[in-house]
Amino acid sequence: MTSGLSLAAAGINANVWVVALAGAISFGVPLVLAALGEILAERSGVLNLGVEGMMLVGAVSAFLVADATHSPWLAILAAVAAAAALAAVHAFLCVTLRANQIVSGLALVIFGGGLARFVGSSVEGQPRGAEIDPLRIPVLADLPVLGRVLFQQDVAVYATVVVTALVALYIVRTRPGLALRAVGESPATADAAGVSVARVRYLHVILGGGLAGAGASYTMLVLVPSWNGSATTDGIGWIALALVVFASWRPWRALAGAVIFGFALRANFTLQAAGITAVPAEILSMLPYLLTIVVLIALAPTAVRRRAGAPSALGAPYVRDER
Amino acid sequence: MGATDAPVGVRPDLPGAPPAVSARRIVKRFPGVVANDHVDVDLRRGEVHALLGENGAGKSTLAAVLCGLYVPEEGELLIDGVRTVLHSPRDGLARGIGMVHQHFRLIDRFTVAENVVLGDRTQSLRLRRDRTEDAVAEIAETYGLPLDPGAYVGDLSVGQRQRVEIVKTLYQGARILLLDEPTSVLTPQEADALFATVRTMTAAGRTVVFISHKLGEVLEIADRVTVMRDGRVTGDVDAGATTREELARMMVGRDVDLSSRRAVVPAREPMLRVEGLTLTRGGVTSVDRVDLEVRAGEILGIAGVSGNGQRELADLIAGVETPTAGRITVSGTEVAGKGPRAARAAGLAYVPEDRLGTGLAPALSIVDNMLLTRPRSFLLDRRAARAEAEDIIERFEVKTTGPDAAAGLMSGGNAQKVLIARELDSTDGEHTARVLVAASPTRGLDVGAIETVWGILDGARARGEAILLISEDLEEVLAIADRIVVLYEGRLVHETPAAGASREAIGLAMAGVAP
Amino acid sequence: MILGSYEVLLEQRTDVRRSSAFIVPIASILGALVIAGVFLWLTGRPALSVYARLVRDGYGSWYSISDTLGQATPLILTGLAAAFAFRMNLYNIGGEGQLYAGAIGASWAGLAIAPHVSGPIAVVVVLLAGMLGGVLWIVIPAIARAFLNTSEIVTTLLFNYVALFLMQYLIFGSSSFWRDPDSKNFPQGKPLPDVAHFPTLHFPRDIAGLDFPSGVTSIHLGFGVAILAIIGTWFLQQRTSFGFDMKVVGSSERAARYAGIPIRRTVIAVLLISGGLAGLAGAGEVGGRAYALDPNGLVLGLGYTGIVVAALSRYNPFAVGLVAVLLAGLRTGADALQGATGPLRVPVAIAFMLEGAILLAALGGEVFRRNRLVVRRIREAPA
Repeated sequence: MTSGLSLAAAGINANVWVVALAGAISFGVPLVLAALGEILAERSGVLNLGVEGMMLVGAVSAFLVADATHSPWLAILAAVAAAAALAAVHAFLCVTLRANQIVSGLALVIFGGGLARFVGSSVEGQPRGAEIDPLRIPVLADLPVLGRVLFQQDVAVYATVVVTALVALYIVRTRPGLALRAVGESPATADAAGVSVARVRYLHVILGGGLAGAGASYTMLVLVPSWNGSATTDGIGWIALALVVFASWRPWRALAGAVIFGFALRANFTLQAAGITAVPAEILSMLPYLLTIVVLIALAPTAVRRRAGAPSALGAPYVRDER
Repeated sequence: MGATDAPVGVRPDLPGAPPAVSARRIVKRFPGVVANDHVDVDLRRGEVHALLGENGAGKSTLAAVLCGLYVPEEGELLIDGVRTVLHSPRDGLARGIGMVHQHFRLIDRFTVAENVVLGDRTQSLRLRRDRTEDAVAEIAETYGLPLDPGAYVGDLSVGQRQRVEIVKTLYQGARILLLDEPTSVLTPQEADALFATVRTMTAAGRTVVFISHKLGEVLEIADRVTVMRDGRVTGDVDAGATTREELARMMVGRDVDLSSRRAVVPAREPMLRVEGLTLTRGGVTSVDRVDLEVRAGEILGIAGVSGNGQRELADLIAGVETPTAGRITVSGTEVAGKGPRAARAAGLAYVPEDRLGTGLAPALSIVDNMLLTRPRSFLLDRRAARAEAEDIIERFEVKTTGPDAAAGLMSGGNAQKVLIARELDSTDGEHTARVLVAASPTRGLDVGAIETVWGILDGARARGEAILLISEDLEEVLAIADRIVVLYEGRLVHETPAAGASREAIGLAMAGVAP
Repeated sequence: MILGSYEVLLEQRTDVRRSSAFIVPIASILGALVIAGVFLWLTGRPALSVYARLVRDGYGSWYSISDTLGQATPLILTGLAAAFAFRMNLYNIGGEGQLYAGAIGASWAGLAIAPHVSGPIAVVVVLLAGMLGGVLWIVIPAIARAFLNTSEIVTTLLFNYVALFLMQYLIFGSSSFWRDPDSKNFPQGKPLPDVAHFPTLHFPRDIAGLDFPSGVTSIHLGFGVAILAIIGTWFLQQRTSFGFDMKVVGSSERAARYAGIPIRRTVIAVLLISGGLAGLAGAGEVGGRAYALDPNGLVLGLGYTGIVVAALSRYNPFAVGLVAVLLAGLRTGADALQGATGPLRVPVAIAFMLEGAILLAALGGEVFRRNRLVVRRIREAPA
């Protein structure tokens, strides 16, 4: 949202907060997409810690394809495919080979991160070859405050809201969504009911990877001007994992949380633009993480009672009990 | 998949028609054991057929083969006379065979309707809550199984959950229902309601297979009985044409001494005293002002249907749980709220219900499990524990590859031997149990192991130990206890000496009916 | 899994041979080399020569070995930290942040306390302060896990970032106690006084055959501390009641409760020890290598690689030592490759690719060690 920042830099102070909010929404897109993907994976019972690695791989793929074809849509596709491929490895290890999910996820972060940096080393610093343009929604975009914040975003932002709605609807109101939840709560029960646990898990882990890749492509095409090694995604994948817990595995809450996080993560720029320099940049950067920790701890006792909380079978490999 | 496709009142098979399901020469093997050894069984339409056998006889395995959960190595299944191979429970359901397991396969976080509808491919993509709930309610009413389709299963009682399982199986189109030990978790009243439901189902042309080890029930509800022992069929009779003795002989194959044993020497001073013991958590009182006393040289048996506070009571006395109120005195030492180690130091030993999971850590070796309940110094010394493990393995003929084998590899019976031996004996002379709390010590064991365990308990009683036996198996309590109390909703009711005790009165007390 | 008319499944082996324990690591390394080799080939580099150079620069000369052992020091400690906790199914992912916190603590002690005490005590103080830093950094996640059952995975992870920013703040974002007031052009950490420097292994210059230009190796006291830590954790795990308690709590919580083992206390203790070990790694880097709080020299993924080390070692302390040296060699070699010329010039990220690939291959291979692939023909009944 470079145009927004330069406006602010020109010293229009009151605008700063509006711009910040708009920026938060934009910044929240990769967060929420990655979180939605992780929600799908975790709801099927598979913990995928490899999100950061998948996003890096997705981002570098988006960059390279954008560089070659100048088409943002092909770039997004490439990112989705690359991240999904990595997620498929995770699915294979965890579902078929029943390996330790946590170690597998971490291995993927390191491998994926290394792979992305390896492949992208020759293009570091180069400007990106494509981007997604903002899309004004007529009439609504002229509303004061709300117009700037909500209706002058780009297509991907609007698409993300739609995706959130679709995922939410899918999980709670559809038959395959019921199967998904069953696999995550009690795979033995789902198996006995005729649901293919392996198929559900594979599907949702790979889908989750694809969503993370989509989010990473947005980072590459809108938020960050060039490929910058691991600093490109800057830990968003890890934050997405925390966001899932923060959102109690519910899509709409993940969206809300992503905006809050986006706001907090951009607090640096916002306060600078508003002329508030008293708080050092690094301390500001810490805040989203501290905030999450506080919220996680504060919410912990109530989650159990509210029938909320992690899917009961999360993290455990499923073996059909033959004896 | 509808619920009622056969008109009510259909006669059982006409002569000449093939049985609904036939199993021929079924062989099913597991590592180290042949669970089903060339088994034949015929199930006819509209009948209640019992599969009778002791624990480990192979009846659950056979049921699993019949419903498609297991694929047999040899043999074949004929459904309506047609040879069929079932690859999964779904295959079984597609052919109309469904099983209600002993351990329910339900998801607590789902509603009743969601549990029933799970896996149903004929549902539309978009789930309509009202439609699914109506469908569930319809079945429930037809078969006399009152249920609220919108309730969360996690909030339901055990009897209600069983109803959900039955409705689920009916919804999925089962015309042949296999019920695995269904009354083990029910009160006598709930069991009667279940029997009524079973008769309604068979009158409607369904076939119900009743898998059980309880002779009395089988004779009451079944039309025909297939008896199994050690993986083979030892008898196939009409229920009306046989006797308890005949069935018992087919079940067990020899004359086993399961007659009652009582204390020979009168009991002496009280070793365990419990006063006003209460446990309240989250508004629920699971143990309610319990007073009891167990003397040296006696077995006090606490009877009751599972779920009335047995586990909590045992855990409280052993120090694993902290009571909300009350006193526990072991050999004169106050131990309430002081933790398991204090209780043990005072001379209490505890054989919990969950033998391989709580009493023994399954991933640890037998040697390490010996160390589990012994006092330990900072530096670990395994020598005494190893000697003890080897001694127990030899003395009790425990089948295992050695003291370093993981405890989880042992069968239930062997694990129980190790557990009880550990709790009762000690080779270092330092630690001798004077009070033993034994919870469901013979659950799931075959008759041979039951004999051994009862022998051990009897021997301990003769040596002067005070034993608190908490068991959901009334037969067991009647067999070896000297005094009997009933636990109902956390309270002790109806105390009676075991000799000459009235089964009826105990049963009523178990169901909460005051005499 | 059903493929056509065959059923494929994984069956647990009843006889897991000890010799197979060596096949898996070797096969994993080979597998990883192949995987990474594909990407090398795709980017037009001669894989075999790259690997040859990697091995040479990582382990091939006394100089490289010295560098590798120096790099291995923090990896052994973060590896032990991860292994100690992971063994109990407590996933401390915060080794990275605990290392930073340890560095902060150690450098503070080195600057504030060391000048006032004599030689050996100064070093001890630096080490202790580093350990304490790591412990403090994991305290909150530990308590949250023990009492509230909050996932330690997420909390320790989040604390990594807080530690990172804290370090950056202390050196780049403020003129704190840690910052060198004399560094005008680029902010740097204040150098520690000589008394707080860890002793380093020296060789006299004139020993023939050793190519040490200055006689100084990269092997400092921290390495010795790491070895002691290996022995210490092994002893604690295998020979003490605490280690026994750990085993029980990690494998069967119900049995632990039944036996009266204090679960919460054990969980917290394990996590604190884990944090302390990672903090020691930070102390070693400060006192033995950088001699100052140097964020750029610390943010190297040492904590995460420690987890890889732990996983590859199957949480065995002695194996941690070996694997740490192995992976350290990868890093050293990759560092050298980064600076090479021509087609052998490979981004340092190759080390991470190999690390990750080895672990992925090992995860897969481990499954086949414990299980056997069984293919059964499904009998079909005639229709």
